[in-house]
Amino acid sequence: MRVAVVGVGWYGFKPVVPELSFREMMFEAAVRAYEDAGVDPRRDVDAFISCQEDFWEGVAISNEFAPEPIGGALRPTITITGDGLQCVGQAYMMVRSGAFKVVVVEAHAKPSSIVTLQEVYELSLDPFIRTLKIPNPLFQAGLDAVAYMRRSGASREHLAMVAVKNKTRGLLNPRASYSAKVTLDEVLNSKPVVYPLTRYEIAGFTDVAINVVLASEDVARRFGDKHVWIDGVWWATEVGTGVIEWHEWGRMPSMKTAALGAYKLAGIEDPLRQTDFAEVEDRFSYMELLALEELGLGGDGVHRLLEQGYYNPGGGYPVNPSGGSLSIGVTLEATGLSRLLEAILQLRGEAGGVQLKDVRRAIVASWRGPPTYTSAVAVVSKD
Amino acid sequence: MSLWKKSRVVDVIHVEGRMETEKYVYTPGLAGVKVAEALIEGKIMGVRCGGELYIPAKTYCPDHSEGELVEVRGPWVIKSYTIVYEDMYGEKLDKPVVVALLGIEGARGGLIHYVDVDPDKVRIGLKVEPVFKPREERRGLITDIMFFKPVEHS
Repeated sequence: MRVAVVGVGWYGFKPVVPELSFREMMFEAAVRAYEDAGVDPRRDVDAFISCQEDFWEGVAISNEFAPEPIGGALRPTITITGDGLQCVGQAYMMVRSGAFKVVVVEAHAKPSSIVTLQEVYELSLDPFIRTLKIPNPLFQAGLDAVAYMRRSGASREHLAMVAVKNKTRGLLNPRASYSAKVTLDEVLNSKPVVYPLTRYEIAGFTDVAINVVLASEDVARRFGDKHVWIDGVWWATEVGTGVIEWHEWGRMPSMKTAALGAYKLAGIEDPLRQTDFAEVEDRFSYMELLALEELGLGGDGVHRLLEQGYYNPGGGYPVNPSGGSLSIGVTLEATGLSRLLEAILQLRGEAGGVQLKDVRRAIVASWRGPPTYTSAVAVVSKD
Repeated sequence: MSLWKKSRVVDVIHVEGRMETEKYVYTPGLAGVKVAEALIEGKIMGVRCGGELYIPAKTYCPDHSEGELVEVRGPWVIKSYTIVYEDMYGEKLDKPVVVALLGIEGARGGLIHYVDVDPDKVRIGLKVEPVFKPREERRGLITDIMFFKPVEHS
């Protein structure tokens, strides 16, 4: 029983969406996704899943806010505290169980409303370490970047190359508000925010709501003809969540585990040969390289392949043809869905200025972001 | 179907709110109490899990066994580091601060703490030692260690 994405919709992709509340943004994204799929949420959808987290919403027990804006009242609606790609995993299981034919996945973000975003990040650390009051909670990315560079041999130039590639590419993507025409020298000559990362290498935050409609193969044909298949999806949390000191610095075992799980379901043994491009986590420049390594998309020499242009849009294996999170921005728990959206539009041939030629299968990899060490990976394809 | 939106920012009314979490009493837990007591004594605890030593100490191990709490004496080295120049809002700090993962040979993890060292001199492998507050000022918190500093003549 294959699982298809039969519709997608989104609203926002701007640093600030002042005109609508997050619930109205959810409604707008849902209306668009249901129109795209040709589904009536009150008649055709069996269950709804929302990926969110109270502290991003500004309300306690925010899962109670989930059903109404997406048409889920009086239907099974689940809220998962996690990245949107984890919700896709849940939906995939529900559809494959046979008990649900059509399942909607929703995630949203309104970071522009979070006046104390830094303090929320700080609150997510173990109280043991929080008393240190380290002045930027992204210190964790700095520690990981330095450890990664030490282990891999990648230099600051390689990290900057990721920023140049993704920031520039995003200029062709209308959803990429943080894209910029930037040179290697500009990145390298700008002062670090959290060494070794400069402001060009740390993604900004973006408001968005995204809605994805999944359906089992036997009913998918009732809903349009732009089907993208979820060939596999898996996720994992590694040691070091909660006790971040225990993390394997400069590595990402959760990404590797999630990839191997998704590849197994999708029947992939050689991801570079069996897939055509990837949308991978890059909220920090080093993360793209680390993610590629853990995903098996270039061995331990990914920075050398980057130098050669292998991961460029016209290269051997395009990575983040959308411009990535460095261009689009971090959309909190909707980050994985935003990258899945980009992959789906590519496979449907609807990626506009960032459209790649002749692509049939893709890898999508997300990280829930600091201070978590949770990753999710999906393999998606078209017939 | 779509909503009628206002496009002037001045037309958009916002409601101010506050997440009521300013006060919360955290339970340090079984290992946490021992870690706190040790800090007051000027000691740092780890947890032995089978053949592995993890820092800092917690009650349970990554393999889901119950660990054995042990004192970790060093010598401490910088395993990774970063230098913080700005906060998340883009405000520059008065002075950059060096934050590092301090570990010991053969142990997993380490302590995350400040290092009192010139940002130009910080490197992986630098030997450091903890500098504790005077005993009467210690409260059983990680801040009982003021910072780590490079070991002289290293």
